[in-house]
Amino acid sequence: MNESELFAKYRETGDIKIRNEIAEKHLYIAAVLAKKFVGRGVEYDDLYQVASLALLKGIDRFDERKGLQFSTFITPTITGEIKNYFRDRSRLVHLPRRVSELRAAIKRATEEIEKRTGKKPTAKELAGAIGVSEEEILRCAEAGGTVSIDNSIEGGNDGMSFHEILPAADDVFEEVETRDAVSSALKTLSETERALVRCRFGEELSQTETAKRMGISQMNVSRMERKILQKLKETLGKSMVE
Amino acid sequence: MNGLMKLECALRNELMTTVRLATGGVCSVAGLNLDDSEDCKVCVTEALLLMKHRGYTTASLTFVGGDGLTVIAEGRERDGEMSAPAEDEISAALLSALAESVVMDKREGELYKITFRFGREA
Repeated sequence: MNESELFAKYRETGDIKIRNEIAEKHLYIAAVLAKKFVGRGVEYDDLYQVASLALLKGIDRFDERKGLQFSTFITPTITGEIKNYFRDRSRLVHLPRRVSELRAAIKRATEEIEKRTGKKPTAKELAGAIGVSEEEILRCAEAGGTVSIDNSIEGGNDGMSFHEILPAADDVFEEVETRDAVSSALKTLSETERALVRCRFGEELSQTETAKRMGISQMNVSRMERKILQKLKETLGKSMVE
Repeated sequence: MNGLMKLECALRNELMTTVRLATGGVCSVAGLNLDDSEDCKVCVTEALLLMKHRGYTTASLTFVGGDGLTVIAEGRERDGEMSAPAEDEISAALLSALAESVVMDKREGELYKITFRFGREA
């Protein structure tokens, strides 16, 4: 059965087996597209998961009678879902931690390679040793190092440190209120849901790592996370109104 | 004069990182936001891949500023093998999904130039 016949049959029967057959044939598109977006602070596994779900949604929406190739139809669908995922929650949570981890890994690998070869490693060698792309190494190097806020300001002659000239922190009372609201909202969750929140947003584990820790599938983590975020949003929205 | 940068490069995988980094820099100068910059880097890579699969061994990239950023990728020397794998279709669809006004110019039926655009952050 060719592609068009498969889609026609699925549309007629709604048979999940046929949908799965179509999905298996096109999972490579999800894999290809997920790879294109690696290096923006989200792990490949998570991107692949998002792309695969978008593929399933796309199969339901595709109409082969319109004469479009499925790959042409599904690429913008998957790309849109991946971009939504980035926009919704990824960068703010993961990037800073990832950069600092990567910097530490680069330092360790540099020392190790230098000890072994007697030479400073290239970006390519570091990328190979750490298991990330060469681009990530270069961008990380470009990002510059972190400094202690207790360091004195270079060029300054009055011995002032960074923390003395930094603007005051956010409104402390507002922070307390926010914490209180979040803490109350978290109480509306079940123990399992709270465990997931701790893994994902406290320890900043990936969906795959969270799934392993909790002994459930990554798909379940993804579903639960969506549900929890919706629930928290509603609870916090209500408390803001009150 | 809105021309920001022009570079000509060999279509070799090991140079793609350099090209992407340069693209990121130009995007920043053009005032694109971080998401658009990342998307632009993906599009530049895909455009060069499409050229490579059409037998080009070098290509030029022209970045033109103004209201956003326009990128023109054009195949130059051509003595490599034509391969055009199935993934080319995904590359083309990805370009259309990420960039605005993608134009694929053909000469004697063969793709040789791709122009696309990213808008400035509102």
